[in-house]
Amino acid sequence: MKISTVLENKQKIKLKKASFKTGVALFWVLLWALAAQWVNSPLVLPSPLETLEGVFTLAGDFQFFVSIGITLLRVFGGVAISMLLGMVLGLVGGLNELFYEIMNPVVTTIKSLPVVSVIILINLWIASGLVPLVVTFLICFPVAWTNVVQGVRSTDPDLLEMAKVYNVSKSKKIRDIYIPSIKPFWVSALMSAIGLGWKVTVTAEVLANALPSVGMNLYYAKIYLETNLLFSWTLVIVICSYVIEKVTLYFIRRSRRGEVD
Amino acid sequence: MSITIKNLSKAYGDQVIFENFNLVLDKNKITGILGPSGSGKSTLLNLCSGLETPDKGTIEGVNFQAISYIFQEPRLLPWRTVRENLRFVLKQKSIKKKGPYEEVINDMLQVVGLGTVGELYPRELSGGMRQRVSIARAFLYPSEILLMDEPFSSLDYALKNKLMTDFLEIWKRNQRTVVFVSHNREEIERLCQDIITFSDKPVKILTREKK
Repeated sequence: MKISTVLENKQKIKLKKASFKTGVALFWVLLWALAAQWVNSPLVLPSPLETLEGVFTLAGDFQFFVSIGITLLRVFGGVAISMLLGMVLGLVGGLNELFYEIMNPVVTTIKSLPVVSVIILINLWIASGLVPLVVTFLICFPVAWTNVVQGVRSTDPDLLEMAKVYNVSKSKKIRDIYIPSIKPFWVSALMSAIGLGWKVTVTAEVLANALPSVGMNLYYAKIYLETNLLFSWTLVIVICSYVIEKVTLYFIRRSRRGEVD
Repeated sequence: MSITIKNLSKAYGDQVIFENFNLVLDKNKITGILGPSGSGKSTLLNLCSGLETPDKGTIEGVNFQAISYIFQEPRLLPWRTVRENLRFVLKQKSIKKKGPYEEVINDMLQVVGLGTVGELYPRELSGGMRQRVSIARAFLYPSEILLMDEPFSSLDYALKNKLMTDFLEIWKRNQRTVVFVSHNREEIERLCQDIITFSDKPVKILTREKK
C-alpha cells in the first residue's frame, strides 16, 4: 500500500472519530436543552444558550481573567510541587526500604483524610489565598508518590543486572534506567493529579474564601441565585480542565516521540 | 591471568548446585561449558561476574570491574538508541551527548555490521541485530573476561551461523578470556577451544576436551 494511501486512511479514521465525538457531545447538549425547556425555570436549570451567554457576559469583565489566572496558578503550583516532590521522594522511597517505611504512614494518613477536614484545618494555619495550593499539593502528592514507588519497583531487573555487571554508576542508573521506567507511572499520576487538582483547588477556594478565584465566583453566583452564572463558571472550569489535559497530553506525546510505547 | 575456581560451594535452599567445585579456565581462550538445562551453568557465570556470591570457596583471577556479559536476551535500554546503549557502558557522564569514544563506537558498529543503525531504537531492530548490539557492547567495554549465557539460543539457524562467524572474527581482533555456556554441542564445538561438560546438580566435570 502506498504511504499516501495509508496517511489518507489515517486521516479518514481521525475525521470519523472526531465527528462521532462531536455527535455524542451534541446529543448531551440537546438532552440538557430539552431538560431546561421541560423544567422551564432558569433559576433551577438554565439552558445551554443562557449558560453560553453567561460566559460571554463574564468574559467582558477583566476580573474574569484574573480569577481564572489565579486559580490556574494555584492548580499548576499545587500539581507541580506534588509531582516534583512525588518524583524525588518516590524515587528515594522505591530505592530505600527504610525511607519508604518512614514515609508510608504519612502518605497513607494524608490519603485517608477527608478533603473538607484538610481544607478547614489548613485554613486555620495559613492565609486563605494559599490554602487551595497547599490542599492541592496534599491531595495530589500521595498519587505521585504511590505511582513513582510502583514504577521504581517495576523496573526491569534484567536491565539493572546488566548495569551492575558493566559497573554503571548509580547516577547513570537513575537517569537512564529508573527515570525512564518510572515515566509512564509518573505520567499517569500527572493526568490524575491535573483532574484532581482542579476539583480540589476550586473546592478549597470556596471553603477558604480565597480571593480572587473561580471558586469564590461560583460561591457568589450561588448566594445571589445567579444560576446561569453558576453554570457558566462550571462550564469555564470544564473547558479549562479539558484544554490543560489536552495540552499536557500533547507535550507528553512529543517528549515520547521515537521512544518505546 | 586465568580464572581459578577453588572449593566453590553454592546452594539455593536444599538444592546444592556446587559442592567443593574446582576448575581452571585458560586466559584468552574461549572455554565452552556444556550441560543440561538447570545444571548450574548460568549460576557459574553469575558467580564469576559477581552477580551472585559463593557460599564457600573462591574465584581468583577475576577483576569484577572488567567483565562483559552477553546475556541470553540482549538487555538493551528500550528508550535509548543503539549508540546510546553502547555509550551507557562507557565511562562518560551523559549517554545523550557525544563523548571521547565516538570513533571507537563507530568502529565497533561497523565491525558488527550495524554501521547504519546507530540512531535507531532497539524496537526498530530485528532480534539478530539486537543481539549484535549486545555483542558490540560486550567488546566495547574494556573487559578482561567475557561471559556468554546462550546468546544464540533464540535465533534461527542461518542467523545463528552468521552471528557465530562474526563473533569469532571480532574475538580474534579483541581477544579476551571467554566463558561460553550452552546446552547446544554444535555451538560450543564451533566456537570453543576448551570444552567442559557438566553433570547435573551438584555439578561435576564429566569430560574436558582441549583443541
